[in-house]
Amino acid sequence: MIRVLRDCLLFFQRDLRIASTYRSPLVLELIEALFGAALFYYVARFVDSPQLRQALPQGNSYFAYSLVGFVFFDYLLAALESFDHTLTEARDTGTLEPLLVTQVSLPVMLVGSAFYPFVVTTLRIAVYLGWGGALFGFPLRSANWLTVLVVLVATLLAFSGLGIFSSAYLLLFKRGNPAKWFFLGVSSVAGGMLFPVSILPAWLQVVAHLNPVTYALDAMRAALLDGASLSAIAYPLLILLLFAAILLPTSMLAFAWALRRTKVTGTLSHR
Amino acid sequence: MSDSAITIDSLEKSFPPARSGWRAFLQPFAAPTSPALRGISLQVKPGEAVALLGTNGAGKTTLLRILATLLLPTRGTAVVAGFDSVRESAAVRRHLGYHAGSDLGFFSRLTGGENLRFFGRLNHLSASFLRSRIPALAERFELAGALDRQVRTLSSGTIQRLSLVRALLHQPKVLLLDEPTRSLDALAAADFRRFLKSEVLTRQGTSLLFASHTLTEIEFLADRVAILKEGNLIALDTPYALKSKFGAASLEEAFSRLTGHSAHSLEESSSS
Repeated sequence: MIRVLRDCLLFFQRDLRIASTYRSPLVLELIEALFGAALFYYVARFVDSPQLRQALPQGNSYFAYSLVGFVFFDYLLAALESFDHTLTEARDTGTLEPLLVTQVSLPVMLVGSAFYPFVVTTLRIAVYLGWGGALFGFPLRSANWLTVLVVLVATLLAFSGLGIFSSAYLLLFKRGNPAKWFFLGVSSVAGGMLFPVSILPAWLQVVAHLNPVTYALDAMRAALLDGASLSAIAYPLLILLLFAAILLPTSMLAFAWALRRTKVTGTLSHR
Repeated sequence: MSDSAITIDSLEKSFPPARSGWRAFLQPFAAPTSPALRGISLQVKPGEAVALLGTNGAGKTTLLRILATLLLPTRGTAVVAGFDSVRESAAVRRHLGYHAGSDLGFFSRLTGGENLRFFGRLNHLSASFLRSRIPALAERFELAGALDRQVRTLSSGTIQRLSLVRALLHQPKVLLLDEPTRSLDALAAADFRRFLKSEVLTRQGTSLLFASHTLTEIEFLADRVAILKEGNLIALDTPYALKSKFGAASLEEAFSRLTGHSAHSLEESSSS
């Protein structure tokens, strides 16, 4: 276990070092986050009304509600994309095969390479919320940060399984990320990103309640906007952990099968 | 545990036929019907160097990739350093150095030294070992200047030397090289061959299986030559015995008589 963690750390250090050779993105991301937060603030000002506030589960401003939905989707995207991105990059730069003849297995390589994007996404979210709190009145003080952290980890675990499934697909078929398009597509409507699922027609509400994104967003909003304790979000948290318990092992099995299959077909490094 | 460094027994490899259009979606599940290796058996003794010789498509790279655990055989077995390449692939990789003959395979934004340290650590070499090992090998391969430069700024010959250093970093028992001097200039290639012979083969007792189209390289390095044709092993002997058997003045002539291919076939393979 310690060796696996150490190997993962090597990938994180590598990605940090590579990122440090590019100078401007950090500044650009700070500015982008500022504009992003401002966009949600002014849209919220435009549509905000007492009726809208009443319709929101936490009774907060629409700005706080939509900003949490937006930054959470950034996290979801990182979980769904980072494994694919690692695999595609390794394949396209020709580093996949040299990596595979080392002592590190491909699953460890994928997980290790996901550390950096997750850390960067977490920082980006912090910047978004920071701008929101500093300039636009996002209620940072009401958050329960321990609960936020637990929800983030549970979300990562639940959605990493989907990301790994997607990598298995990519290994076999070389292009496409069906998990990303399906989940982001469905979740943007039936996940509660920018509006509560309670306003959806009954059949879409059923879809929303089968979607782990809905539970993750509920828990995240409760933790960030209401300062909910762990016991207060026990139900959505358990649902997320159940998703993780099912998706992580099955996705690893699917990935191992796909890897074996590419070694049979000789298409491991094909693009 | 076998006495051989590499034991290949009745090894067969077939690939599914290439498909295009919507049928490409079925390829991962298609049956392997295009043979690349047809029942190869050979052994490489500890400290021995065996060259794989054949035209393009003969099966040299496929064989090396199976031994490197990057491909699964369709039938037969391959044992490297006493470990089965399928069932004990992690143990095989621990004792294996592999150079794919490509000038890709490095992180272009990292320096040569950073790349070597990264791959060395992934092979579970300690940082202190790498601190002495990397400069020593870099000096031997005239790579000292490349250690502090980003790989994207290096020539393909330099990157290839870097790749050879990476294959040797963990002092493997078995070395698999696919066209090891393809991108090297004549002097660097000759220097590398001398290093392989004196340091890696003679002093460290490493076993070497390499594919090459350069007959002078094969004659200099190989104790035995395995000639492949369309996935079959059609001859396996010392360069001298091969020449004698076919009454040939050179290995090139012996290859030509044995395979029916002219010497041009190898030159074309080499340049392709």
